[in-house]
Amino acid sequence: MVHQHFRLVEPFTVAENIVLGDHRDVGRTFLVHTRAIERRVADLSERYGLAVDPRARIWQLSVGEQQRVEILKTLYKEARILILDEPTAVLTPQESRQLFGTIRAMAEDGRTIIFISHKLNEVKALADNVTILRRGRTVATLSAAEAARRSLAALMVGREVELATRNDRREIGETCLALEAISAEGDRGLPAVKSVSLGVRRGEIVAIAGVAGNGQRELAETIAGMRASTAGTIRVAGKKLKGGDAREAIAAGIAYVPEDRLGTGLAPGLSVADNVVLKSYRRPPASRGPFLILHKIRELAEAVIQRYDVRASGPDVPARQLSGGNLQKIVLAREFSGEPVVLVAASPTRGLDVAAIQTVHAYLRDAAEGGVGVLLISEDLDEIRALADRIAVMYEGVVVGERNAETATVEELGLLMAGGE
Amino acid sequence: MIRIERRLEQPRWLSVVVPVVSVAFAFLLATVVLVATHHAPLHTFRRLFEAAFLDKGALTETIVSATPLAFTGLCAAVAFRMNLFNIGGEGQLYAGAITGATVALLLGGAPSPVVIVAMMLAGAAGGALLAAIPGILRAFFSTSEIITSLMLNYVVALIIDYLIFGSHSYLRDSSGFEASVFPQGKTLPDSATWPSWTIQGLVIPLGALVAVAVAGGVWFLYSRTRFGFEVQVIGDSARAGRYAGMRTRRKIVAVMCLSGAIAGLGGASQDGDFRHQLDPRGLIQANYGYAGIVVAALARYNPFAVLLVAFLLGGLQNAGYTLQGADFPNGLVGVLQGLLLFCVLGGELFIRYRLRFERRHAPATESA
Amino acid sequence: MNNALLVVVIAQGIAYGTPLLYAALGELLAERSGVLNLGVEGMMLVGAVMGFWAVQRFHVTTGVALLGAVGVAAFAGAATAAIHAFLVITLRANQIVSGLALTIFAGIFGLSSYLGNDLDLAKSPARHQFQEVFPSSWQNLPVVGPIVFGQSVLVYASWVCVLLVALYLSRTRLGLNVRAVGDAPAAADAMGLNVSAYRYAHTLIGGAFAGVAGATFSLSITPQWIAGLTAGAGWIAIALVVFSFWRPTLCLVGAYLFGAFSYLPFALQARDYSWAPPPELSQSLPYLMTIVALVLVSSRAARLRFGAPAALGRPYVREER
Repeated sequence: MVHQHFRLVEPFTVAENIVLGDHRDVGRTFLVHTRAIERRVADLSERYGLAVDPRARIWQLSVGEQQRVEILKTLYKEARILILDEPTAVLTPQESRQLFGTIRAMAEDGRTIIFISHKLNEVKALADNVTILRRGRTVATLSAAEAARRSLAALMVGREVELATRNDRREIGETCLALEAISAEGDRGLPAVKSVSLGVRRGEIVAIAGVAGNGQRELAETIAGMRASTAGTIRVAGKKLKGGDAREAIAAGIAYVPEDRLGTGLAPGLSVADNVVLKSYRRPPASRGPFLILHKIRELAEAVIQRYDVRASGPDVPARQLSGGNLQKIVLAREFSGEPVVLVAASPTRGLDVAAIQTVHAYLRDAAEGGVGVLLISEDLDEIRALADRIAVMYEGVVVGERNAETATVEELGLLMAGGE
Repeated sequence: MIRIERRLEQPRWLSVVVPVVSVAFAFLLATVVLVATHHAPLHTFRRLFEAAFLDKGALTETIVSATPLAFTGLCAAVAFRMNLFNIGGEGQLYAGAITGATVALLLGGAPSPVVIVAMMLAGAAGGALLAAIPGILRAFFSTSEIITSLMLNYVVALIIDYLIFGSHSYLRDSSGFEASVFPQGKTLPDSATWPSWTIQGLVIPLGALVAVAVAGGVWFLYSRTRFGFEVQVIGDSARAGRYAGMRTRRKIVAVMCLSGAIAGLGGASQDGDFRHQLDPRGLIQANYGYAGIVVAALARYNPFAVLLVAFLLGGLQNAGYTLQGADFPNGLVGVLQGLLLFCVLGGELFIRYRLRFERRHAPATESA
Repeated sequence: MNNALLVVVIAQGIAYGTPLLYAALGELLAERSGVLNLGVEGMMLVGAVMGFWAVQRFHVTTGVALLGAVGVAAFAGAATAAIHAFLVITLRANQIVSGLALTIFAGIFGLSSYLGNDLDLAKSPARHQFQEVFPSSWQNLPVVGPIVFGQSVLVYASWVCVLLVALYLSRTRLGLNVRAVGDAPAAADAMGLNVSAYRYAHTLIGGAFAGVAGATFSLSITPQWIAGLTAGAGWIAIALVVFSFWRPTLCLVGAYLFGAFSYLPFALQARDYSWAPPPELSQSLPYLMTIVALVLVSSRAARLRFGAPAALGRPYVREER
């Protein structure tokens, strides 16, 4: 299996990594015959078009090259069945094309390849047979010839979506968040956000739809100041931000509900009370000068617990003991209490039960009604269609389309999310 | 099969019971060691206890031993709370001793309160400056503070040795014939002698009171101020700290300096309370810095617990010196301290994790 | 010529550097598997005292006695290391605190002195000692004489050890595996390697080496039992591992360099040089050099190429992967 998150040892060479995983008896020699291994690796890479220098160290390689090492690992062990999980998520278009060549060569050799992807053009280009999964269940199995691209998208996102009653007519004000040609790099130094321009107005809920891994997280972090942009400007209520500084973003009125609730949004070992004032501890009433006013903090926490119906035995309970839904309530409560101008919510209902999801949706609507500009990032089209006024779709770091929520169809959105036209 | 999984909740009673059980277990192991080497355990423990606390003048000596341990313990606790492993307490204490003694000699004739306060400030500054080095290296170069602070211990030890034994520095005593043959530090002026208070035969030096005040100050800082709040957040999850807009790098340097300052205060206290000169050999032999880390670990980095543990370990230390002789096992102090630490460290596992005993499952039959 | 300062310093640097080399090789192996063991000083002292005891206790010929003593010292060191291994690998304790606890437990105020005292070892010098191996005619050869041929078998054995450890790490499958365990335990675990087993094994081997290093002091350099006779060599060894960028061959160079720096003050003193820099300066050089080396290796690329095993000092918990 070639995982999305590579299992490679960075300081080792390519050859060493390939050999490390070799458990067959042939491989269990005492000495590592470097030259023989390198030769075999070179042979394999030539045959399958996986150009990589067996002597190079992993940290020197690009992500695409690292993925080739992962594939070579499987080939070296003479695997007959290969599973590739979203392999092109980290590749440039050229590298992807090279990968397809490799896959075809492996198939011609009689190997079986299982290729997991949400990108329809890839599926169409490669597959002999396509199986579509939704929510853990098989929806359909088609041969490639049968599947026209359009019906694939519909099968992926499903048709049985009850439209939530949308009788919220909100006052939409002036632009509170303006992203102008924002570009940013991902954790590995590759461009993740490519010249995104987007606006959010007061009272509006703008959703960014897209499968995870297409740059949404990096975009959210850039807006929140946790990541520096490489190009473009961010304006909040007309004022330009320097960027790359979380404190500046917080002061400008940007609230951020991150995907990673417990490790980023909350300090897991600290109490609920501490987490409630995680951003507001610098100002009254939580503190006066350099000193914390503990009883005030407790009051704030208790008020939050009451008002948002958080199931916790008290404000002193460490955050990690709470359920996902309650954690999210605390994060939302905290972000709202800062009287934000913009609220960025990334996958806010991930892992929550139905009741908690309803609660979170209600809070988001409340925020918009209160005049906050909400930027909702989600993979769930149901959620997006229930909440958003406008929907932008992100694919491979670019906004590939913007639609009005009332008129957008599921097929349209699904197609955009999967890279189609 | 035993599985180890993280506990979701850590009941209060566990944090008390486990250390107590660990300590008891440590004494049990010590008993085994003693018996195996033909010493009577109960007799030995009783003599230790008496020499530490009950004998005439023992309590005073225990406080003498405990005071530096309190300082270096607080030094370690302050830093370790934020996952900064400052093991340079040893060197930071020497640095404080050097600067404290220098200031005391320079200010010789000034009134006593002035000199004493100056010594404290100088000591703290000396320790803080030294600790800033590993702090800056860690904050801005991501260099391991463990190794840099450890290395600096040795460098400062050599410096302090040089000042008295390797040179005729300002700090070295040059009066009289003896001084040129047996090098020692210049005796500090009388105004540099820190006062002490005697209550019913028990002598309490100023340094001990300062240590208590510092413990209170640290507690207050970490639990009641914005600074302390940030330390706690960053110590718990650096990512959450960045999310909240905290200035992580500045915090690292600040905490290291604070940590070093406390150890430096301990060094000044050594000059002013007990030794009345710069005493390199004595300071180096005592290993206060490393013992302080032990104290901090046993106290689980709580400032008031540090005071208590420093007192107990000081008693152990004191008893060790007093009882040194033919019929008392040499090196028992270290063995006991080591065992205590091993058991408490090992016991931590049971506070953070839970053991689950599972039988190996038969391979699952086909799922529906 | 053989009395020239340079020759003497190099020759003695090798002699003094040998315990450093043994201890550093051991610590290097432990750290390569991801375990930081600050208890080197304690393990060396335990090895020294037990090796000494073995030599005093058993009435056999010199060769057998010394060999046996080294074996006993190695075993004692490994047994001491086992405590640390159990605490940090199985019980997930903090490696720094545990290592320090080990030094306190076994060090000058602890177990080694306890044993030395109880077994009454401080009275007399070692009954058998490591002597120079080659005949004196060879030792009198210019330059190479004292430097190469004037050493004890422990020194020559250390050269073999450096070679073996270097080959082990770079050429063998086990060496590859242990490096993976130290650099990326999650990946190694996913590859089916038993992270705990590798860490245990290498920590114990590290202890064995430290024990032999201690025996070098009590059976060759000093050669007597004095409480705390290693006088901080264990800490220098820890610095040496860093200074050598976790490579055995650089360990050799560094050990002799550090040994020479330690010895230089004495040599200068014996020659009554008035311009000699203070001994403390030369003795502090190993530590200063280590800090500089560390800072130089702090950029990400350099750290990957030369730096510490990535998982050094952190307990590996599979569930938290």
